[in-house]
Amino acid sequence: MADRLTDILVAPVTAVDPSSWDAALEEAKGILAGLAVRRAGAGPFRVTGHEVRAALCGDAADHAEQPPFAWSAHTARRALGLAAVRLLVAGGARSPVEAVRARLGESSGWIRDGDPCASRLDRWVAGLSPAGRTAVGAEAVTWATRLWCALDWSALGSPLGIGRDRWWDSPHSALLALRSRAEVRTDRTNFVVLSGPRRESVRAELALVTLVESLRTRGGAVPGRVVGWWPDSGHLVRVEPEPAVLTLGAEAVALVLAGADAPVRSAA
Amino acid sequence: MATTKIPKIAKKATFVAGASGTRDRAMQLPGYVTPRGHTAPMVLVAPRPLLRSAPPGVAPADRGSGREVLALLRGDTAARPRFDPELAGGLRAWLEDAAYDVVTKRGEHAPSLFLGPSQLLGLPAGWRDHEGLSDELILSRLAHALFGQLVHEGELGDPLRDALDALRASGAGALVGHVESLSAAARAALSETLASHAANMKEMVPRFAPGWMPRTNDRVAIPLAGGRVMLHGSFDLLVGLPQPGTASLCALGLSTSGPWARERRSLHYLALLETLRSGTPPFRLALLESATGRYGVEDVREEHLRAIASHLCAWLATGPHG
Repeated sequence: MADRLTDILVAPVTAVDPSSWDAALEEAKGILAGLAVRRAGAGPFRVTGHEVRAALCGDAADHAEQPPFAWSAHTARRALGLAAVRLLVAGGARSPVEAVRARLGESSGWIRDGDPCASRLDRWVAGLSPAGRTAVGAEAVTWATRLWCALDWSALGSPLGIGRDRWWDSPHSALLALRSRAEVRTDRTNFVVLSGPRRESVRAELALVTLVESLRTRGGAVPGRVVGWWPDSGHLVRVEPEPAVLTLGAEAVALVLAGADAPVRSAA
Repeated sequence: MATTKIPKIAKKATFVAGASGTRDRAMQLPGYVTPRGHTAPMVLVAPRPLLRSAPPGVAPADRGSGREVLALLRGDTAARPRFDPELAGGLRAWLEDAAYDVVTKRGEHAPSLFLGPSQLLGLPAGWRDHEGLSDELILSRLAHALFGQLVHEGELGDPLRDALDALRASGAGALVGHVESLSAAARAALSETLASHAANMKEMVPRFAPGWMPRTNDRVAIPLAGGRVMLHGSFDLLVGLPQPGTASLCALGLSTSGPWARERRSLHYLALLETLRSGTPPFRLALLESATGRYGVEDVREEHLRAIASHLCAWLATGPHG
């Protein structure tokens, strides 16, 4: 698994015709500009892969009825797991168990010392009983171990970004922002850990990453590929940076903002 | 001595168990598929005497059974089995054929079929389908919470309090609320039963060094027929580093209610899912029964995987999934 995934992550990115790419990027910018203008006065809206999935799978209404967000072992595992993997890559821990333990210890220390960098997650973790904290740590260990064992980290090269979301803020409206979520970023690939079942919307979810990376890049440079990976099944989906992917991403954003569930043209 | 009825193919596998198994015997287990007719006879599983509840918070100093389980899991490191690289593809093709037959019968647009051990192998003893929280289900959730704590921390405080704290942090508020709403007598009985399970687990659950990469509740979900049929399950505990082409993982399952044969098949089912996920199965499985302190460790063999795949295909062909 590690070899196969790593080979995909370090493979050269498919060459793209610059004029086609530029045209698609301009078209996507035009779509987004129109959306921003239409939404003026409608309140802030942040589009993430989650919203794309909800809109395309037709379950946006179901999501609206879900209880409000609350921290739990499940919702905390990614943040804690990513911190653990960062520590492992940096050589600060020898195993996911040690890395997660260190991260949980940081939470307690920051709260005890009144450190201003403590987050809501830190406050929640620090307030748990020892048994509760162990349960939270166990989920994070499983999450981190799967990611840590999935890749040959020494072969990925540098620079290496782990778990930093990137946002694109619309220049036409401060109310519209798009998020690019990837667990691991190299100069050639954005690697996304996926959950839930395999679904038709996944290419549009990953196209949003390509779109945001393209919009953030200066000079119209073509970003790396996006690779989505389901640790539950070992399956992966690969989205190369092609002009059609930009269109797919922009249309997905339009669909989210429209609150409709009409089908989006496939980039495949 | 208990005997269990097992599939014809799997019957040829050796199973080293709690009281009757020995470490030396386990060390001699071949790591490859034994030719037909040359397999060792099944070692019958002998249940240990039912242990009485131990005082909470008192752990055996040397974790006697846990060390034995660890030694059995480690086994002979030079004899790790290698599985046919085509095995996973063959099993998947077999299951895909069966899944597509189901899709043909149910229709392309029928909702996806999510199948776990409960559907495919039957419910564990005492569990009731669609009837809310049975006592056995509650006990299982509580015991599994303690199992995770033992794996990662090695110690327990008050079992019921720890288990409820762990479940509360895991978002299982409804179950916690249910337990907390029990009468004092019912809660005391539950606490005593859980303490008995906890005492057995303290003896049986090995202490894993962090380098073994222990991870609890590792979910596997394998889509078939383009996701219209989903086989899913969760390893209670996986240890080991995945290595390409080599079976390098061990899986441990915790059973709170049995029956033993059903729980053992459930582990075989998970081994099959791991084969489909990563290309190789775990090389060794351990089953721990917290009610009795009984445990067993066995090598995974191709026969196990074929037998459970055959069962799944038969279930898909005839099961109640219309």
